[in-house]
Amino acid sequence: MLSLYRPGSGWLNRVPAGPKMLLFIAGALGISLLPSQWWAGGVALGAAVLAYAAADLRDGALGLQVFAAQVWAVRWVILVTAVAQLIFVGLEPAFANTCRITAAIVFAGLLMLTTRVTHLLDALERGLRPFARVGLRPDRVALMLTVTLSTVTVLGRLARDIRDAQRARGARSSLRAFAVPFLVAALKHADDLGDALNARGVR
Amino acid sequence: MDHSARRQLSATDFARVAVFAAIIAALGLVGSFNIGPVPITAQTLGVMLAGIVLGPWLGALSVTVLLALVAIGVPLLSGGRGGIGVFVGPTAGYLIGWVVGALVIGLIVHAGGRKPTVLRILVGTLVGGLVVIYAFGIPVYSFVARIPLDAAFVGNLVFIPGDLIKVAVATAVSLTLLRAYPRAFGRTWTPAAKDRVTA
Repeated sequence: MLSLYRPGSGWLNRVPAGPKMLLFIAGALGISLLPSQWWAGGVALGAAVLAYAAADLRDGALGLQVFAAQVWAVRWVILVTAVAQLIFVGLEPAFANTCRITAAIVFAGLLMLTTRVTHLLDALERGLRPFARVGLRPDRVALMLTVTLSTVTVLGRLARDIRDAQRARGARSSLRAFAVPFLVAALKHADDLGDALNARGVR
Repeated sequence: MDHSARRQLSATDFARVAVFAAIIAALGLVGSFNIGPVPITAQTLGVMLAGIVLGPWLGALSVTVLLALVAIGVPLLSGGRGGIGVFVGPTAGYLIGWVVGALVIGLIVHAGGRKPTVLRILVGTLVGGLVVIYAFGIPVYSFVARIPLDAAFVGNLVFIPGDLIKVAVATAVSLTLLRAYPRAFGRTWTPAAKDRVTA
């Protein structure tokens, strides 16, 4: 399954998904709201490093190895942000803002590294229960997300097959030539899926 | 207006919304396409097509479903991005803009319940796919990155050529789809006068 989850038995892996998600949203927002000054950039990065160290990731480097991999994954965001900042606002805000944005994203990444998607899905379903009163059905929302997730795998394979077939025929990678057969096949799949859901009594 | 569809989704519409959310995700996973020398990702093309094919409400819903999956940590955005981090990052506004963009595209393309035309698809994707998405993306970028609004506006210019290409592709693809697989649109249109003559 598509996931960035990193299996482990650290304490953060065992915290219930719902409260953990709220905690990370609050933390990421907190980092995002730090001021644009030298010290704040350091505080933002320090907080993210500390969070990884405290998360009990067991990578043999106090979480720093995983932290570095996460920073590397957002290297383009860092580069683009830093360049734009240096051009438009000067050195101190550029440093602070780039650190702040990087730290917020990398800190938030810790949530998906330590939490299974299925657990977050369950937490979301529970969290949406109060909205049942206004006509939102949490079970349907969860079903929708699950069905979509499994369809992504099917369509990902379909998309690769179509691109491979076109490459094999020596066609250049044209977006239009790819999109038409892909959409027709995907939407036919939607019809089949609709029939399957109907047959199973999903209303 | 399909308010009924919004309240109670039929299994067919349920499947179309889920599959379209997956289409947008898959378009981000297949990697970039080269238009001349420029590599572009196809994900916003998927957002445009969602509005065109599914219409305003279902289109916006399918984008919302995709973003909900991204929020709970599935790496479905192009480049394998996902998690709540993308919603506190500088490009968060563009993602919110996708939802409203798909809605606006659907409203324009299906205005009056008539069969989509080249003109309405072009106008819809330009307004919903560029103007609306930028209207959310630029201010949020300016707010998160703390750079002046005009600087964010200038930075946004780099997206315009690629997005214009996507408008052209979305239009061409949806016109082909209208002929090849009209069922995809899930609606019926009263034939225009000139079609009745040729039919």
